[in-house]
Amino acid sequence: MIRLDRVRKSFGSVEALRDVSLEVAAGEFVAIVGASGCGKSTLLRLIAGLVQPTAGHVVLDGRAVTEPRAETAMVFQAATLLPWADVLRNVTFPLRLMRRAGGDTEARARALLATAGLAGFEHRLPRELSGGMQQRVAICRALLQDPRVLLMDEPFGALDALTREEMSLELLRIWQGREMAVVFVTHSIPEAVLLADRVVVMSPRPGRIAEIIPVELPRPRGFEQEGSPAFQAAAQRIRALIYGGRASHAA
Amino acid sequence: MRRSLPSLIAVAVLFLGWEALCRGFGIRPFILPMPSLILHDTLAAWPNVLAHTWATLGTVLLGFAASVAVSLPLAMLIAASPTISAALYPILVITQSIPKVALAPILIVALGANELPRVIVTFLVAFFPLVVGTVAGLLATPPELIELGRACRAGRVQELLRIRLPFAVPFVFGGLKVAAALAVVGAVVAEFVGADAGLGYLIQTSMAFFRTPLAFGAVVILAIMGILLFQAVTLAERILFPWSSGAASPPTSS
Repeated sequence: MIRLDRVRKSFGSVEALRDVSLEVAAGEFVAIVGASGCGKSTLLRLIAGLVQPTAGHVVLDGRAVTEPRAETAMVFQAATLLPWADVLRNVTFPLRLMRRAGGDTEARARALLATAGLAGFEHRLPRELSGGMQQRVAICRALLQDPRVLLMDEPFGALDALTREEMSLELLRIWQGREMAVVFVTHSIPEAVLLADRVVVMSPRPGRIAEIIPVELPRPRGFEQEGSPAFQAAAQRIRALIYGGRASHAA
Repeated sequence: MRRSLPSLIAVAVLFLGWEALCRGFGIRPFILPMPSLILHDTLAAWPNVLAHTWATLGTVLLGFAASVAVSLPLAMLIAASPTISAALYPILVITQSIPKVALAPILIVALGANELPRVIVTFLVAFFPLVVGTVAGLLATPPELIELGRACRAGRVQELLRIRLPFAVPFVFGGLKVAAALAVVGAVVAEFVGADAGLGYLIQTSMAFFRTPLAFGAVVILAIMGILLFQAVTLAERILFPWSSGAASPPTSS
């Protein structure tokens, strides 16, 4: 579905990504973890077509990605809702912007909001919602575009720990019902292991893929699996890669 | 009503104190007239005062309208390109460093003693905060929102009209409120220099004949005019953009 082939990306003299090769299958859930500045967000923006690689290729469905494509939709760390538009208009905004809104768009948006627990909030303004609810709206906004690839840039990073766990499980539930690949950038190792089929661990300066770790946990997943040996092994391996030999346990 | 009560009482106390001060110390009216005398003299000349008020209001509104008509497109140009911004900003700052009182007589000689130079002076005083505010608003759009637009393949025009401009609305109204108040200042400055009508003209002629109470009356009317214009802008914002007026600072998405 997505193929990155020896991708390099420089911003001026700063090399953000070097020699990144990665394949994501249709319907696969891939998490990307790494320290700050390892180019994870750049990687996501390359797949989204928002930035172009300096060298190498980004291919989506057999075609090179040279501009944002209808197959991808993006969710950011901040909900980035339009403050002047109510929830419903926020969710339909991308389709209206792309002139893809049809007669059933509003009905589909309402149904989607209902599955996200936002029924009754259709005509509220973003500032009347909590952070978690705003992010749900942002996810609905992306899902309404029926993307085949959902790109998420630390989508739960700004939420409190409890909301975060709840949202992770909800995301899994939504993903399971759809034919949709997810590329999920996060700082949280447990989050990555809980969600993903494979975890891509990146190392910084310049950003490279250190290792790709398959997560052998049965689905549907839940937090009760956190104690399982497979979960712990994957988390340990990722931690070791990120911190290297040093400081994997504090005094 | 309950919230405005303390300020009403404060203003009443201020005027009563003023009245008592003038009576108690026997201050002569042409130096500092008492509020009651100001009211009396202003009402005695009311048709005349009203005509001057309309003249000033006309200049203020035309100058304010000109500021809006010029500032918004100008701000869009500046926000659209760093090159245009680099070229225009110094010129804008220069226009702001020139004292408008100094410019007014020159303009009147060049353009004749009519409404036009007065409107231009009003415009020059009022437009700058509007440009600065609008540019700030257009550039303050969160980068993710711009990225969202680009991910939806929005062109530059769509980005401006559907994302940047609506986002700038609270900033534009901040600028409009300052511009409304400044437009009154600009109109009076212009009338001081060259006019045969208007409250600025009334103040000057009154003082030439030591009719201080009438000059004070004109000042009070100017203050009321400024307050009403400010309130009108606030009201327009509340009606047209209810999502904007609730937040003192532009709403954030977090």
